[in-house]
Amino acid sequence: MKRAVRVGAGEGLVITANRLLDGAIVWLSADHTWQTAIQRAEVLVPEAVVERIEGVQSRAQADGVVGIYEIAVRPEVGGPVPVTMRERIRAFGPTVHPQFAYEQQEGAGA
Amino acid sequence: MTTAIGQYQYDQVDRDFLAARIEEFSEQVARRLDGSLTEDEFKPLRLMNGLYLQLHAYMLRVAVPYGTLNAAQVRAFADVARRYDRGYGHFTTRQNIQFNWIRLEDTPDILRLLADVDMHALQTSGNCIRNVTSDEFAGAAADELVDPRVHAEILRQWSTLHPEFTFLPRKFKIAISGSPNDRVAARFHDIGVIARPGDDGRVVFQIFVGGGLGRTPIVGQELYDSVPEERLLATLEAIIRVYNAHGRRDNIYKARIKILVQALGIAAYREEVEAELAQMDIARYRLSPEMVASIEARFAAPDLQVPAGAADILAEQRARDWVFDRWVRSNTHAHRSEGHIIAVVSLKTPGEIPGDVTADQLDRLAGLSERFAYGELRTTHLQNVVFGHVRQDQLYDLWRGLVEVGLGAPNVGLIGDIVACPGLDYCALANARSIPIAQKLGARFADMTLQEQIGALQINISGCINACGHHHAGHIGLLGVDKRGEEFFQMTLGGRADDQAAVGKILGPALPEDDTVDAIARIVDRYLQERSGKESFLETLKRVGEAPFKEAAYDTV
Repeated sequence: MKRAVRVGAGEGLVITANRLLDGAIVWLSADHTWQTAIQRAEVLVPEAVVERIEGVQSRAQADGVVGIYEIAVRPEVGGPVPVTMRERIRAFGPTVHPQFAYEQQEGAGA
Repeated sequence: MTTAIGQYQYDQVDRDFLAARIEEFSEQVARRLDGSLTEDEFKPLRLMNGLYLQLHAYMLRVAVPYGTLNAAQVRAFADVARRYDRGYGHFTTRQNIQFNWIRLEDTPDILRLLADVDMHALQTSGNCIRNVTSDEFAGAAADELVDPRVHAEILRQWSTLHPEFTFLPRKFKIAISGSPNDRVAARFHDIGVIARPGDDGRVVFQIFVGGGLGRTPIVGQELYDSVPEERLLATLEAIIRVYNAHGRRDNIYKARIKILVQALGIAAYREEVEAELAQMDIARYRLSPEMVASIEARFAAPDLQVPAGAADILAEQRARDWVFDRWVRSNTHAHRSEGHIIAVVSLKTPGEIPGDVTADQLDRLAGLSERFAYGELRTTHLQNVVFGHVRQDQLYDLWRGLVEVGLGAPNVGLIGDIVACPGLDYCALANARSIPIAQKLGARFADMTLQEQIGALQINISGCINACGHHHAGHIGLLGVDKRGEEFFQMTLGGRADDQAAVGKILGPALPEDDTVDAIARIVDRYLQERSGKESFLETLKRVGEAPFKEAAYDTV
C-alpha cells in the first residue's frame, strides 16, 4: 500500500504524472487538465487528494498520462514549489544543464 | 557498411532477427498508445527493449557488446543524440550508452537506426543476463594473456534471449578479462571470468561468483581456478541454473546470486553446480575448438604496420610539447605491438558531466578512429573511451584532434577521473544528485599538476544504494542519501575493483554536498602529508589506517 505523503504546516498537495508520449512531467490543474508548468497546478488539501486521483486515474489513458501521484508543495509568490529536491528537479528541470530548465510561463496541456 | 575490426560481424540471420524484434516492439508501442496495453502490461515489454521511464522523459539504454564500437556506430549515436535527444549521449558504468530525452513514439525509429549499424538495446534491463562487459584494452594491451573478445562474443550469443534465463530472480552481470591485471572488476560481478592460457596452450578460465555492489556489497569468491574452454558454457549454465532454482524471488533486496552464495557458502554452491553438471547433457554444451574458431573468424584484425622510427617521432613530439607529454603520461597504455600505443580519451573534463558526450564530440571520435585507430573504439566501465591501436607517430595528431573538441583532459586514473551515475537529475531511483558534486570535485582538483602530484586516486559517486556509480569500489566513494528532503553524502575509503578487490569502509556521518567536497580536499591534503615516498593513496591508507583521514574529514565540521 502506498505511503501517504507527509504534509507539513502551510503545505499543500499537487497531483503529477508523466505524459505517455514523451515522458514529460505534467501537473493537474483546477480545470482537471494536465499542464506542463507547475504554476498551473491546483493546490489541494490532503482530504481532497484521494478522490481527485481516483478520478484522473480512471481516464489516464484518454488523457495520455502515466504514473499519477501526489506531492507536497509550499505555496510561494510564483506558484507552488515542491518540498523535496526530487520533485523540485521534476518541476524545474535538471540542475546540471541550465538550457534544459523548464519554461515556467509556457503551460501547454498534455 | 565496411568491415570493422575488433568486432563480431553480423550476418543476415542476426539482422533479420533484429528487424523482427523491432517490428514486434513497434506493434507493442502502437498498442500501448491506443490503449490496448495498460502501463502495467507494457512496462516489462519496454524494459526488455532497454526503454525506461525516468524523471523527465524516457531513457533508452543501448548495448555496447563488451564495449566495442566502430565509427559508423558512433556516428549513429551522434545521429540519435541530435535527432531524438537533446544533443547528448551518456556512457554508463557498464560500457553502454544512454539517451536521456527520448519520446516513446520515436523509439521504434531509433531502434531501426541503430539496427542499421548492427546495434540494439536488448537485455540492457530486466532480470536477465545483461550486456557482457570486457577489458577496454582487449586485443591490444601488452599485459594481456588472452584476447577476451571471442569468448565475450560466445557469452553474448549464449546469453541473448536464453529461454531459461529470461526471468531470473534478479538481473545478472558477467564480465570477462584476459589479463592478470583485472580491469573489468571481475570480483564485483555475479560471475567474473578471467581467461589465461592453460598448460596445453588451450584457454582456461578462472571463475568468480557472487560478487556485486548495490545494497549488499560483496567481493566475489573463486568457484573454479581452471575451467577448460570446452566446459565454459556448461559451467556457466550450471552456475546460473542453481541460482535460478534457489535464488530468492520473495525479496528483491535478497534476490541477487551474491545473497545465495553467502547463504549456502562457496563449497556448498560448488557442490550444487557439480550436481547440476552431473545430470546435464554435457555434449550439448561443449564449446569445441571448431566453434571457437568460427566465432574468431568473424573478427577482423588490424594490420599493425608502422613506419620505422615511429617511437622516435613520439619521443621527439613529447619532448617538444610538455602539455602533450603530460597527456601521454596519464592517458596511454603500453601496446602489445611495437610502434603502437593505446590511447584513453577522458570524458571527465573538469567541471563537465562524467561520461557525457555531445553529438559533435561523438562525430569527432568517429572521425578520429577512422584516421588513427582502424575505425575502432571501446567504451570503459569507468566512463571513458579508448582507441585501442594507435600508431605512435600519429598519437600527437590524434591528441590535437581531441583537444579541439574539449576531450584532451590528461587525468585518466587520477582524482579528476571521477565515475558518477546520472543521479537525481535524471534517475527515478536516486536519492541525491551525483553530477553536481562530481563537477565541484572536478573543478576543485582541476589543476593538472596537482592531480599528477596526488597520483592514482579513484573517486566513485552513486546517487543511491543501487550503486550504479560503484561507490563501494572507489578509493574514495560517495553515496548520496536523502535526509528529510536534503542531500547528504556518506564517504567510504579503501574500495578497489582490481585483483585485490575490496569494499570501501564507511568513514563517518554523511555530510552536505559542499562540506563533502571540503572534507575530500582535507583527506587529500592529509594523504600528501602522510605518504611515504611514492606511495599511492591506497598504500598510505593501508599503512596508516583510516584514523588520520577521519580526523581530517571531520576536522571543522
